[in-house]
Amino acid sequence: MTDLQIKGLVKAYGPEAAVLDGLDLTVPGGALAAVLGPSGCGKTTMLRIVAGFLRPDAGSVAVGGRVLSGPGAHIAPERRRVGIVPQEGALFPHLSVARNVAYGLSGVDRTARRARVEKMLELVGLAGYGERMPHELSGGQQQRIALARALAPEPQLVLLDEPFNALDSALRAGVRDDVRAALRATGATAVLVTHDQQEALSTADLVAVVRDGRIAQCGTPEDVYHRPADPWVAGFVGDAVLVSGTADAAGAATAATALGRVPLAAAPAGPREGLVLLRPEQLRLTDAAPGEACGTVTDVRFYGHDAMATVTVEGLDAPVDVRVPGPVPVRPGGRTGIQVTGEATWHPAVVPPRACG
Amino acid sequence: MRRPLARSLTALAAAALISPLLAGCGSDEPAGLVIYSGRNEKLVGSLIDKLEESLDTRVEVRYGGSAELSAQLLEEGDATEAGLFLSQDAGALGALSKEGRLAPLPQTALEKVEPAYRGAAGDWVGLSGRVRVIAYHPDKVATPPDSVHEVVKPEWKGKVGYAPTNASFQSFVTGMRVLEGDDATRTWLKGLKANGKPYENNLAVMDAVDSGEVSLGLVNHYYWYERVAEKGEDELDVRIHYLAKSDPGGLVNVAGVGMLKGADAEQSAYARKAVDFLLSAESQRYFADKTKEYPLAAGVTSDVKDLPPFESLTKPEIDLGELDSLKDTLAMLQDVGMV
Amino acid sequence: MTDPTTGHSADRPAAAATPLAGRRRVAAGRRPSPVLLVPACAAALLAVLPLGYLAVRALERGPAYAWDVIADDRTALLLGHSLGLTAAVVLGCLVLGVSLAWLTVRTALPGARIWSVLVTLPLAVPSYVAAFTWLSAAPGLAGFTGSALTLTLVSFPYVYLPVAAALRRTDPAQEEVSRSLGHGRVRTFLRVTLPQLRPAAAGGGLLVALYVLSDFGAVSLMRYDTFTRGIYTSYRASFDRTPAAALSAVLVLMTVALVAAETRTRGRAGHARTGTGTARPAEPAPLGRLRLPALGWCGAVVALAVGFPLATLGYWLAVGNSATWDPGTLADTSLTTLGTAAAGAALTTLLALPVGVIAARHRGRGARLLEQAAYAGHALPGITVALALVFFAVRYARPLYQELPLLVCAYAVLFLPVAAAATRAAVLQAPPVLEDVARSLGRSPLAVLRTVTVPLAAPGVAAGAALTFVVCMKELPATLLLRPTGMDTLATRLWTETGAGSFAAAAPYAAALILLAAVPSYLLGRHRT
Repeated sequence: MTDLQIKGLVKAYGPEAAVLDGLDLTVPGGALAAVLGPSGCGKTTMLRIVAGFLRPDAGSVAVGGRVLSGPGAHIAPERRRVGIVPQEGALFPHLSVARNVAYGLSGVDRTARRARVEKMLELVGLAGYGERMPHELSGGQQQRIALARALAPEPQLVLLDEPFNALDSALRAGVRDDVRAALRATGATAVLVTHDQQEALSTADLVAVVRDGRIAQCGTPEDVYHRPADPWVAGFVGDAVLVSGTADAAGAATAATALGRVPLAAAPAGPREGLVLLRPEQLRLTDAAPGEACGTVTDVRFYGHDAMATVTVEGLDAPVDVRVPGPVPVRPGGRTGIQVTGEATWHPAVVPPRACG
Repeated sequence: MRRPLARSLTALAAAALISPLLAGCGSDEPAGLVIYSGRNEKLVGSLIDKLEESLDTRVEVRYGGSAELSAQLLEEGDATEAGLFLSQDAGALGALSKEGRLAPLPQTALEKVEPAYRGAAGDWVGLSGRVRVIAYHPDKVATPPDSVHEVVKPEWKGKVGYAPTNASFQSFVTGMRVLEGDDATRTWLKGLKANGKPYENNLAVMDAVDSGEVSLGLVNHYYWYERVAEKGEDELDVRIHYLAKSDPGGLVNVAGVGMLKGADAEQSAYARKAVDFLLSAESQRYFADKTKEYPLAAGVTSDVKDLPPFESLTKPEIDLGELDSLKDTLAMLQDVGMV
Repeated sequence: MTDPTTGHSADRPAAAATPLAGRRRVAAGRRPSPVLLVPACAAALLAVLPLGYLAVRALERGPAYAWDVIADDRTALLLGHSLGLTAAVVLGCLVLGVSLAWLTVRTALPGARIWSVLVTLPLAVPSYVAAFTWLSAAPGLAGFTGSALTLTLVSFPYVYLPVAAALRRTDPAQEEVSRSLGHGRVRTFLRVTLPQLRPAAAGGGLLVALYVLSDFGAVSLMRYDTFTRGIYTSYRASFDRTPAAALSAVLVLMTVALVAAETRTRGRAGHARTGTGTARPAEPAPLGRLRLPALGWCGAVVALAVGFPLATLGYWLAVGNSATWDPGTLADTSLTTLGTAAAGAALTTLLALPVGVIAARHRGRGARLLEQAAYAGHALPGITVALALVFFAVRYARPLYQELPLLVCAYAVLFLPVAAAATRAAVLQAPPVLEDVARSLGRSPLAVLRTVTVPLAAPGVAAGAALTFVVCMKELPATLLLRPTGMDTLATRLWTETGAGSFAAAAPYAAALILLAAVPSYLLGRHRT
């Protein structure tokens, strides 16, 4: 299988801090991995090293066991069989759609090439668009053609560099689904670089969160969302409610917090003082009842499918967010009780620096 | 919008491919003699046609400025293809002579011309002479001055045209330095600068006098004949006046020829014959009639009307091809701010 | 309107590349591929050949002699004159070039399209013809005034062309934002538009400056003592190549300083504009009461720069007796001129291509050095470059000597920067991400150059070729020394006829030269980037 193995990648521009600082990443063959991180964290540098446009200072990149970049080895971009889909597609403006898609098919005879182009256009749902020029396409269509062009030579790996950035939100979901389907259909291994956590979580089989040139966490979208490695990752992949707590006696998977006793996903090892991390949808507004956590609603934001209420809780410095499905029962200023459902994650009280941005 | 330009580029490239063919036509037969000519094609072109006939070989001519061609010949050294150098003035021949680029001429050729008009080393010879004259506008000048010393007088303030970068003007200044000394010459130059208007060349001076922009001009005589040929004497207001004998302003300059070292035996033989031809009565007559210059070879005289006899002119007391004195002159001209 | 260089349609203005992306691509210190580097170094080597010759000649009598020449008071005087003239002409060209570009591109000037073609035609007028015609009409102009006037009138299109192209590319939305923030039309132009034109104007200004430094035709006729004239005086009056070489070396130093200064003005702006082009054309600004003065300004410039020389030539033709020119010779000479200039333009463009691509795509000392090397010989007078090629050719390339290929090489040395600047600007317009994509699709660097970079930059490269073609046609001093013996171009023919005082006979050649050079100039004027 054409799995991607990145080991110990280091890259620095000039004497300042390294952009990549020992990045490791493994993507199994056929998987779609999202590399997620704030801008400037090094994810695009990583992508350009994998594609062969940059040489790493240290570390290695291998696809299907073949070392592409490594100590003493550097395979030219054109011999890597790694396709890229850049931001905004970057179609060749002087070539028709068909000739764009056929661009990577050198050495293939004409009939085979035409058939391949047809197949690729069908795959991305744009059959019959071959004779158009790129500027006659909409943004989403351009993006899909860019994918078809990258997939046409049957690369071992496809890299997508924030490909949906330039699309407006209405188009984005549709194009995203099409791209996912096309990648699945060809079975190509793919890496999607993005700073949009929703995009990463909804599109990828595997999400790697990058911070300061390293992988902070890598796992399935569910893993990363529900069991974040640390509060920073939790905050980056979604809204987080962070409250300090005290773990119950050793071995028990519960902790006492200002929101009451909270069940933990795993019993904490180490000090008993720490942070308890919840998602806003794990909190529920209730009628204020004695013995339960209480607070005052200060703000309500309505999103259509749900709403978010900000609640100042007695005994907590910072207010907490509560996701409310359906109508919000309390107006701003009103009293409310709060209940916790599901399990929380436990983190030692040391908060890693929030650099990289 | 991009297509026409891209297409025209292709057309240019196509033209580039056929251009060597164009340039190549007519050069199938190798030339027996290659001449570098600092004299204009219009002046000597038909004479060279006659030379070609007389030598019975193809003669190739590269025209250019005398100074530029002499610099080129110096760079080429022994590798030159040229057998003969025709120069507009003696200085360029002197430069080649000084660097040992000229072959000695046969004594028979040298002897046809007075020593004053040939190289001291016997490696170049003058072919034709031109004399410095004063051009004037008859409506503005009743009696033109007989001496260049007149033109620095206050009455001519702002009325004298001259061409300080012209080689003939500069050799006239060199001649004046020899005749009258550096101090007198410097004083005279300052006077001229105060009185005069500088022009790029003799023709421009001539035209300025003709249009009345200036009243007098220091020029070579044959430019007047060139202007007559271009416009007709009736159309022309300007007239020329020959200076008194022994006046430094009436210096004779020469155009000459030298043979180059480095030519093979065959070309050298042609070159020698060519020098003989250029000093022959036929060629000398050509200079007299066509370019209205003075023939320099003994036995031929010009019969252009109004041209004073050659013997009556100021003979240069200097070696015209001597560069060191030329350099001193240049330094003096720069010093007074003329060039 | 859609921009063919980016493929983004007008209804998607939001799709702007982040400046970061552009910066990252060029700053990454990627080494140029050998496919580019080897020919670029070859081109640079050819361009610095004259420097080797200068070193040999300047030092042949020892460094002390060369230093004496350079340390002379007169050298300082010539230097002052040259720099003063250069400053005046560059300033004049900036005023003419920028004002005409703005009028023709951004305002509702009546007949803007025609004007945009007409104002490029002065390129076709050789400086010596312009100077000659002006001097014959107004001898009082001789000196600084006349030199500055004629040089400005023949060289302002070097500024006009890149500035007009840049104006077409600027995003009108930025100007609208400025207006909405309370800045008037003039303030907006000065604070938003003008800074964006700076790289284009500086590039054009550099070409003008180097042209003025190297020009001999206009200053010799106008009798203004510049550095180049000093070099010629050394050849012509004292027949001495050593001081000429020492002075030329100073000229090279001035060139390097100018090129370095221009590189500095480029800043990051030029590189950041690698993303999308103009989303839509700007609304032409109404001229209102300024309509007539604007028309008058354009008309006056065109009349002085093109109309006047042509009218003078017509006058000569009418009054002279020597007007017995042979149409056959004129036609042959024209064909030879076209062929030679085309060969010169083709070779120069070919050599400039790798240099321009590297200059656009790579930063760092090596790339800068390469570009500076290409410019090094550009301010040298033609005679010096020609003698340098004589020097090398008779020693190392005897069979080429005084054959067409050597003359074509001389054109390449002389005009490499003209083509390289155009190529660089054109490549900058093509987003580098396209080249990355092409390589990831399995194409070699050479194939990427051939299938992506060159086709995208083609219109700009072709414009550079057309410009080179025009300057090759007008070239005189190097052509005189290096042409195959017996070959005549329009410029050499013109030199012959005027040298003999046959102005009427010269007029047809001058007119043919101007008219033929006007064709590519016309194409340049119509060209839109």
